[in-house]
Amino acid sequence: MLKILDFFEYAKSESLWMAHFCTGCCSLEMAAAMGPRYDWERYGYMPTPTPRQADILMITGLVSKKILPALLRTYAQMGEPKYVVALGACSFDGGPYNDSLSVIKNPTEILPADVFIAGCPPKPEAIIEGLEQVKAKIKAGIPSAASQGGLWKEMEF
Amino acid sequence: MIDAFISGFLFPGVLYALVWTVGLFWFFRKFMAPLHKRVGPYYNGPHGSYQTLFDLSKLWTKESITPTGVNPYLFSTMPLIAVIVAMLPNVVIPWTNNGPLLNTPYGLLILVVLVGIEPFLLFLIGFGSDNKYSFLGAIRVLTQAISFETAFFLSALAPALLFSTLNLSKIVESVSFVSFLILLPSLILYFISLLGLLEQPPFNIPDAEQEVVYGFMTEYSGTGYFMLQLAKFVEFMAVFAGAGTLFMGAYRGIFFDSYLWFFIKMVSIAVIMITIRAATPRITMEQMLHFSWRYLVPLSLLNLAWVMFAKAMIFTGV
Amino acid sequence: MEGDGVLMDYIKNTISDIPTEYIEDYKQNWLKCKLKDSKDILTITEKLKKLGLRSISTISPTDFPNENKIEMNYFFEDLQNRKNCWVKCDIPREFDKCKIDSITPIMPSANWHEREAYSMFGVDFINHPDLRPIIVSQDYYGKAPYRADFDWRAHEANQLNNLKAIVDDFKSDESKNEKILDPLGSDTMLNWGPTHPASGPIRLKVHCDGEKVISVDPEIGYVWRALEDLVTRKDFIGAIVAVERLCFMDNINSMTGYCMAVEEIAGVEITPFAKWMRVLLGECARVSSHFMGLGNFFNTMGLHTLMLWNMDVREYFLDVLESYSGARIATAAIEPGGVRYPLDISIFKELQAAIDKFDSVIGDIEAIFVKNPTMKLRASKVGIISKNEAIDFALSGPVARASGVKTDIRLDEPYAAYNEVKMDYITAQNGSAADRFRVIFEELKQSVDIIRQAKQKIEEGVASGEFDPQKDHMVKVPKKLPAGEAISRVEWARGEVLMHLVTTEKAKSPYRLKMRAPSFNHTMMLNRLLADKTLSDIPLVFGSMYICQGDLDR
Repeated sequence: MLKILDFFEYAKSESLWMAHFCTGCCSLEMAAAMGPRYDWERYGYMPTPTPRQADILMITGLVSKKILPALLRTYAQMGEPKYVVALGACSFDGGPYNDSLSVIKNPTEILPADVFIAGCPPKPEAIIEGLEQVKAKIKAGIPSAASQGGLWKEMEF
Repeated sequence: MIDAFISGFLFPGVLYALVWTVGLFWFFRKFMAPLHKRVGPYYNGPHGSYQTLFDLSKLWTKESITPTGVNPYLFSTMPLIAVIVAMLPNVVIPWTNNGPLLNTPYGLLILVVLVGIEPFLLFLIGFGSDNKYSFLGAIRVLTQAISFETAFFLSALAPALLFSTLNLSKIVESVSFVSFLILLPSLILYFISLLGLLEQPPFNIPDAEQEVVYGFMTEYSGTGYFMLQLAKFVEFMAVFAGAGTLFMGAYRGIFFDSYLWFFIKMVSIAVIMITIRAATPRITMEQMLHFSWRYLVPLSLLNLAWVMFAKAMIFTGV
Repeated sequence: MEGDGVLMDYIKNTISDIPTEYIEDYKQNWLKCKLKDSKDILTITEKLKKLGLRSISTISPTDFPNENKIEMNYFFEDLQNRKNCWVKCDIPREFDKCKIDSITPIMPSANWHEREAYSMFGVDFINHPDLRPIIVSQDYYGKAPYRADFDWRAHEANQLNNLKAIVDDFKSDESKNEKILDPLGSDTMLNWGPTHPASGPIRLKVHCDGEKVISVDPEIGYVWRALEDLVTRKDFIGAIVAVERLCFMDNINSMTGYCMAVEEIAGVEITPFAKWMRVLLGECARVSSHFMGLGNFFNTMGLHTLMLWNMDVREYFLDVLESYSGARIATAAIEPGGVRYPLDISIFKELQAAIDKFDSVIGDIEAIFVKNPTMKLRASKVGIISKNEAIDFALSGPVARASGVKTDIRLDEPYAAYNEVKMDYITAQNGSAADRFRVIFEELKQSVDIIRQAKQKIEEGVASGEFDPQKDHMVKVPKKLPAGEAISRVEWARGEVLMHLVTTEKAKSPYRLKMRAPSFNHTMMLNRLLADKTLSDIPLVFGSMYICQGDLDR
């Protein structure tokens, strides 16, 4: 019985599907990671059109104020277990737009991310490496960061 | 007892359907990848063959969300019914030379009725989702099903006419090279209406993700979505097997008769289907209706006339 | 050109009876004038329209709190005959007096630009048909965030409250829809985006009756980064970081535009080598952008093959950019004074590999996708823009050229080394979605041809000692610029980018930078193109308009 349950846990970690949602420019490199040269499907990653079937929500770069409620709503629509990956400098602290009057500087304080991928934008190799870290995290049985806390729980969206 | 168990759960039953789903899903992705100049699943198992097993297992055990505002019974039972209905044709298809599980003189009728009922279940699934995109997708399913089923039924009727039987085993036994040639137009028509019925490009209008976000499947997650995927792939199997049985002699082959031949025939239909998928954009609803009623249905009727003519002139005595 | 001069004089004479402070020639084919009274804007607009300047590129207000005025800049253009007019006028700064007549009834292309000025600077346009805020998030409604004295840090301090304003607006929008729609009817409001697979961060409020679209109202601003405000807090070199993020797909050309404006104010002339490098890098970026555009067009019809094939080739061009600048996409390779890095001539090997790869696949792409009968069946009858519409709505780039408008800034107002490049306008006649696809495809081939020319020129120049790739790449531009004002236009992958740069005396950072980006006008067209079509046409038309949300929102 234990073995079977282990198998399903393993399957969860090896099959990560992304919600098709882009908030900023890093989605361009995400597209490149899907492309022929990097082809993240080799590792089993796949984009899926609706958040309902997704395991991973990518914060692709900047999060503007207007899109934040949509981002949180998308996250809420996903089924457990779900993980958040923050791409690029913007999703950490606003990056180049740190001084901008419309970009959220602390998106991951609102929706905590499990893995940060550095770069502006991160290279496709880095994105795949970051996703591999999510796999490792799931295999180690660490619960997702957003389920542990974050401002999003107190917010209305 | 043992036999019933084997056939219900192993060979043409549940396990067979599951293995087929996992395998075909993998084959779709792996075969599609080189057409995209990619590699496809690679690292999980030999040539990534465990990938779809992991994917489907994950979907099975993932949280299933029932949105507020839907009828929970309709929402959660419809996928299960869809799977069962998709699996039922398995009993009448002669998989091996032992004949079908249920040897009935009305095999063909059962096959087309069960295949034809599936879109209406998908309609109910979309209708019950309480989502605008799902509802639009559901209406599209219905429109498309009505347009393509006529041609599907008519082209499936051709072998019955030619061999004067609805018994699938008898049809398989009667298929010869000459009959294959006579039925070739019917096979092509069957294949085209199969694309429409299975919502494959260029007729993937109901689950067009760029237009209606997966249509009827939008709201399904976890187990429900797994069921729908299962139903889809099993439906593929039933329709492919229908083509194999009606036109290509199912398990019959060169040198020996075996399930292997049947498998090869089904996979070759899948290959053609995926190749079309990789090279054809989706058409619109009006174009689909136009195509179906202006060309496909009249052609199927003409084809019936041709089959009757061929039967009278060439095929008499067989 | 001589003919142009006569034309310019004619325009000058025609508008000379309107009281102006000055009318002067500017650059090669621009006329610059300042109205004494802002009430004359309607008169001058009508006159210019009669003279053939039917498009308005953008409206750029500049805020001068010390002089208590907002200076309005109107950029009128004639897309085909190379004559343009820059009209300025002052209006008072107080919110209740900050008013000017709307020119939208005369020139429909001004519509969204006036709405933008209204949202950003609080300029009230009298008689505007639909003066709602645009781009800005709901918490900035009525607050004029781009004004020099707006304290955005104080506003941002209360983040959760601001977010609540956005959520409340969304919810009230939903409940309003419930009220106006007949519960027993088949009408519904679809939110096409921002989570939709084909939309990207834009929301089209689609009012539809079953499959039939009744109207489309684009709601934009989901990637609003306030770049125009952001650059004012950066120095002249730091600003390129913001400028290149206009849209990542083709960032080189937008930087070129900005740098040209800075160089004009600084009075610096860059070296021929740098000019050729700008052409070379710019075309590489254009190729990579066009590849995405083509792929996206087929993606909207559910066929991903072309996108992936394109991505395969595109990587080779990105390799060139990466070898030159160190980054695949965010290159920051163009700087005021030239190009940023000296050229290591060995990267031309990679460039040659990219060109070879391009040559090896372009035939297949043409045979399978450009001539695809299903694509033609679907795309040749939707999204049709007539030539007149294209001019009236100031469309530019491939979209305008597909409607038969001969406009290309590279030829109309040659910058960098484009005056020495051999090229021609690529146009189509019908202006349908399929035509736009074909124009983009042909431009792809043209761009690679230009890359070949630039490569050859640089190789010859280096071989003959005319160019020194280690030193010629840059001329020094002073860190502090004199007071001045300049505009520059470049042909970006998606169309015309106009940069309006204002500096103050001994300035270290831009005082005002207005970026006019083509997608703004292209999105304005969506309602006209999609009304009475079906839901299936939305992604197709949207994809064919070659819209990037980055430059749409800025």
